[in-house]
Formats: sequence, structure tokens, C-alpha cells
Amino acid sequence: MDVVLADRLQFSFTVMFHYLFPIGTMGIAPFIVWYNYRALKTGEARYAAAARFWTKIFGVNFAIGVVTGIPMEFQFGTNWAAFSDKTGPVIGQPLMIEGVYAFFLESIFLGVLLYGRERVSPRLYLFSAVAVWLGSWLSGYFIVVTDAWMQHPVGYSLGPAGQIQLQSLAAVLFSPFAQWQYAHVMTGAVVAGGFIVAGIGAYYLLAKRDLEFGRDFVRSGVIVALAGSVLVIFPTGDRNGADITAYQPVKLAAMEGLFESTNGAPLAIVGMPDVPGHKLIDPIFVPDLLSFLAYGSFRANVNGLTSYATELWPPVELTYYAYHVMVGLGTIFIAVAAGAAFLLWRRKLFETPPALWVLLLLMPFPYIANEAGWVTAEVGRQPWIVYGLMKTQAGTSPNVVTGETIFTLIGFAGMYFLLGLLFVMLTLREISIGPAEEVAR
Amino acid sequence: MTSVVAFCLIAAMLTAYTLLDGYDLGAAAIAPLLARTRGERSAIVESIGPFWSGNEVWLVAAGGALFALFPRAYAVSFSGFYLPFIIVLWLLMFRGIALELRAHLPGDMWMDFWDAALSISSALLVLLFGVALGNLVGGLALDADGYFTGTFGSLLNLYATAVGLLAVFALVQHGLAYVAAHVEGALGERALRYIGTVWWLVTIAYLGVTAATIALHRNDLAGAPFATVASAFALAALVSVGRSARLGHAMAAFWASLAFIAGLLVAAAATMYPYLLRPHAGATGRGLTIFQAAPPPASLALSLAVAVIGLIGVIAYSVFLRRRMPAKVSVREEGAAASPGR
Repeated sequence: MDVVLADRLQFSFTVMFHYLFPIGTMGIAPFIVWYNYRALKTGEARYAAAARFWTKIFGVNFAIGVVTGIPMEFQFGTNWAAFSDKTGPVIGQPLMIEGVYAFFLESIFLGVLLYGRERVSPRLYLFSAVAVWLGSWLSGYFIVVTDAWMQHPVGYSLGPAGQIQLQSLAAVLFSPFAQWQYAHVMTGAVVAGGFIVAGIGAYYLLAKRDLEFGRDFVRSGVIVALAGSVLVIFPTGDRNGADITAYQPVKLAAMEGLFESTNGAPLAIVGMPDVPGHKLIDPIFVPDLLSFLAYGSFRANVNGLTSYATELWPPVELTYYAYHVMVGLGTIFIAVAAGAAFLLWRRKLFETPPALWVLLLLMPFPYIANEAGWVTAEVGRQPWIVYGLMKTQAGTSPNVVTGETIFTLIGFAGMYFLLGLLFVMLTLREISIGPAEEVAR
Repeated sequence: MTSVVAFCLIAAMLTAYTLLDGYDLGAAAIAPLLARTRGERSAIVESIGPFWSGNEVWLVAAGGALFALFPRAYAVSFSGFYLPFIIVLWLLMFRGIALELRAHLPGDMWMDFWDAALSISSALLVLLFGVALGNLVGGLALDADGYFTGTFGSLLNLYATAVGLLAVFALVQHGLAYVAAHVEGALGERALRYIGTVWWLVTIAYLGVTAATIALHRNDLAGAPFATVASAFALAALVSVGRSARLGHAMAAFWASLAFIAGLLVAAAATMYPYLLRPHAGATGRGLTIFQAAPPPASLALSLAVAVIGLIGVIAYSVFLRRRMPAKVSVREEGAAASPGR
């Protein structure tokens, strides 16, 4: 196997596995703050119990997230030494700031949240919940800033020998590309958080146990999921898409499976790309819609893949499917959340088992949508490791060979399989113990 | 100038990591020998439970700082020591998982398994960190670009192994002092007594490594004055660790141990200076100094300021929380171990 492919497989595997857990922590953290706030405000034991229940679920997520996150910080150096050497003056900055400003905050205050309930005042305890939320969301920001720079490099200059130098730290940290990407990523996590809370609530209602909590979780989960699934598409997804249209038109063409440049380009709802044949197989099109979404005019020209040299195409099939999976699921999320919210408003949701079943079974899909979004962003960025500036091929470690990377990839695969089993087992156990058990404590 | 400040910042962050996570690792490594019952073992782990994750962030943040401030050194060293590095990552993962999940299921088997995993991975981590430091201070086989040309086996040379043993003894002593200062009752007292024994091993290893370092670098030591002062400071602190332990002053022994380790690491950093990767005598490469590895100074100054201000904030809220949430624990009856979130 080619060493570049081995390194890419390793990075995509470790980062995709890792990201499952930040989805959970970033999505659940606001609920922990909410329940702790209600507990402090009303003094009711059930809110404190709900906060403790979600803190335990958060804790398992955090534990796996933190141990799988450590390799991410160091893999740039181990497997992508040429990339790190060249871009470190710029992308090292947000990574360093993430450690100093966000990761400390989350880790240190989580210690209080997990172990400090009887040792600190209720106010400091609530403050710790807020700090953990802030830490997890700030972490997300600096990581997105790092990625946004690879998508659309800004705030740098080239030195006499072609080396990349930092021109403006502020330009990197407040890159306009990062703003909408971050908003999109975070609303994606909020959608996941909403559906996780609603799904577990639905389970309690269907299982006819912990009913008071089940109703509360379904109610707050559905409201958050509805708000999130609207915001994830408009404005955040739409604006992020506008940035891609402006700065990465090849990626846009691959996402949409558009091979030929077209005035009034149609939007493919389904279809399978036939890359050698330059067409979609069995497509269903909405005429002119892609032109409208990309440029605000139904007759606008959208460049197809064939307007660009083939060596600048990303892997078309993967980019296309990842994007369509994300958008398709996003549409389903709005429909489900809106339907559930309607039933909630009519006060029928808790007595409608089919709707609760849908909420329960939907739980894995926000994870898939979040991961598919990242695959669209990162596979669609190929063949560049830094868009327009450095090719992925040129980024690997000169002295690490395929055999070493395959060995460590197998090691990571084994380790992460074990971690995945532990996560499922311990999360199911916490759910089966349930929040009602917490009231007595 | 900014390069020197950046070097000092990273050295300080790694020192903070060793001082803080050092007691987690040391206490976990010695736990099987120190604890007589499962309840005692749980008390040791619970004394570090709320803090280990925040302590470990010092390592991650130092990695980020190395990436930002000396990208060339970050790239060359992490890929150059590929396999040992990945093994360290795996051990860190095992350690973290063991600490976080040991109390999540009822039953003694579950806890015994994770406690064994915790102790083994902690002990190996300390040894590997020590060996790594030994190689950095002792010098490496490097090619002209600064990439490592030796083998895994060559990293386990006599000098580096000696530093690895010093690290194990020193951090076990540190962990014992932490347990003595933070766990009440017979367990804390026993930890203090154990220091009396470990102290001799630390002292022998310290003297041996110091003599070997002087012999190795006697002609070539830019930071010699700093190294000498720091080393003497470490020796004084080490004497104080032994004395405090004998007199039964647990907290004083812990503070002295902090000072001892800080002294050792400052001495190590001064010995390395101005290198990030020091070539060993007779190597073909020139090594990698802080001046070659750093990006242009102008771009560094602001990042350094941002990092330093952030770290002052981190230290402030860490200290605040330690005061609000003292780490004192006591040994519980069998089977009554607390688990997170309860």
C-alpha cells in the first residue's frame, strides 16, 4: 500500500472514531447546565437527579473522547511531519490556544462536576457546569479554526524560501470561513444532543419506567432538536455552502455530482455517480435549483467537474455520497423534529408510541450525519492538505514507512474496538440504572 | 530572544506536567505494593481521580506549544521516534480509561483488572518518559536534517536507562509523598514510611545520573551555570524530602518532592540548551537548536503572549479550585467505593 493512503486511512479512522465522543459531550453539555440551573433555581430533587444522570453519560463520553483525542494532537507530528514542519507556524497556533484556553477549562472543571458535588457550593457547582460547556464548545472552535485554515488559508505569508509564515494571528483565529463552519458544526452537535436526550426519554416512556424524567427529556430534547435541525440547514449550512461555492468550486461540483458546466444547473436529490462516464446514474433532479442555491439565480452558470483538471478532483463518489447522506438525514431530522414538536404542542406525544419509537430509533443517525459532514469537508478537500497551497501527498513523514503506519493502524483499530465496546456497555448500563435512581442519592 | 522565551515556556509546561501528572503516575505505579486492601487501593486512586485529567492537559498543551513555537522540532521528533511515541500514546490511553472506568461496574474483578492496567501502564509511562528524557539530554544519533537514525534498541542505552530508573524512583517517591499528604490514616502513614526506603534509591540514581551527565558533557555545556545551580537546588530538596519523611511531615515532604523534581527538570533543560534535539558525540548531524527550529521571531511574540496569559489564568483557577475542593480522602470499607457522579 501507498504510504499516503496508509497515513490517510489512519488519520481518518482515528479522527472519525474520536469525533463520535465530542458530538456527545458538546451536544449534552448544554442540557447539564440547564438541569443544574433548574435544580439551583427550584430546589427540586428531580432536576438535580437529571443533571447527575446526564453528567454520568457525559463522563463516559468524555473519558473515551479524551483518550482518543490525545493521539490527534500528536498524529500531525508522527504521520504528517512534512505538513507539520511547513504549516506549524500557522496551524500550531490554534492548536496551542485550544490546549491552553479550552481543554484545561473543560478537564479541570469536569473534575469538580464529577467528584465535587458534596465538596463545593451549589453555585460553584453550577459555574463548573457552565465552564465545562464553555470549554467543550471553545475546543470545538479552535479545532474548526485549524481545519478552516486547511480549507481556506488566510493570515499567512510566504517567506523567501517558500516557507509558510504567520502574518496575522487574528486573521487566522477569526477567519470568516471558520465562522460559518463552526456555527454549522456546533448546530450539528446540538441536533445530536437534542435527539440523544429525546431518544433516551422516549425509551423510558416506552419502557414505562422513570416516566417523569422520560417526559421531561422528550420535551426538552425535541425542542432543542427542532431548533438545531432548522439552524443546521439555514443559515449555517447555507452560508457554509456559500463559502465552498466561492473558495472550493471543485468540491461543490463533486458534492453535487455535476460533471458538465451548466446554466440553470439541476439539484440531484438521488443518483449514483458514474465518474468515468461523467454522469449520474438513475438521478432524480430538481431543475435549476443548484444554480439558485449556489448563486441566487435560477439561470446562473455552475462549473462542473470537467472544467477542472482531473488531478484536482477530489474522490467524487465519496464526496458525493457523504454530502447526500448528510443533507438527506438533515431533511429527515427537520421532518421528525417538527412532527414530534407538533404532537408535543397538541399534548399527544407522550401517548403516541409510534412517534416515540421513531425518536428512539433515530438516535444513531445524527452521529452519521455529523460524520458524513466531516467526510464531505475533508475528502472533498483532496488532493489538497492545505487548499491551493500544499498537496496531501507532500505532507507525510519522510521517514515513516507504510509498514509502520499499518502496524500502528492495526493497533489503533484493536484499541478503539475495545473502547467502542466499553462505551456502549457502560452507556447502556447508566441508562438502565436511570435517573430515578439518582433522586435518592 | 523570543526563541529562548519559547524554549523556557515549553520547558516550564513540561515541568508543570511532570510535577502534576507525576504524582498521578507515581502513586498509581506504587499502588499494588503500597495498598494492603482493595479499599486502600481505591483511596489512592480517588485521591488522584478528580485531578488527573486536568494534569494531563499540561502534556497536550505542551505538545500544542511545541507545534506552534518549534514546528520543525515537533515534526522531526514525533515522526523520528514513531514507534516509541505511539506506544506512549497507547499507554496514556490505557491509563486514562482505567482511571475513568474502574468504578463504573460493580464487582471486584472489574476494578482489579483496571487497577492492574492502571499500575502497569503508569509504571511503563514513567520509565518511557525517563528514557526519552535521557536520550534528549544524553544526545541522539541524528542525520543532517535532524531525523533520528538509530533503532528502538539504541534508545535503551545505558545512560538513558539510568535516567529512566531515576524517573521511576523519583516519581514513585513523589506519588508516595502525595498519598501521604492526601490520604488519612494508616495508608498515609505507610506511604510516608515507604519514602524512607525509596529515598535511598532516588539518591543513588540521582548521584549516578548527575556524575554521568557531567562526564558526558563536560566540554560542551552552554547552560552549565543554570544546570549546576538547579542540580544543587534539587539535591537540597532531596535531602529535605528524606528529612521531612523521617519527621513525619507529609505535606512538607510533598512540597520538597515538587522542588526536587522541578530542580531536576530545570537542570535537564539547561543541559539540553540550546538544543531541542542534541546530537550525541560523534554523530554526523548537527542536531536541532532552538534557533533553527523556530519560525521568524515577529510571528512568535504574540503567540507567546497569548499562551502565557492563558496559562496564568489556568494556574489561577487551578489553585482556586484546589483550595475549594481539597483532595483529602479517607479509606472506606470494602465495597463502598465511590464512583464518579455519585
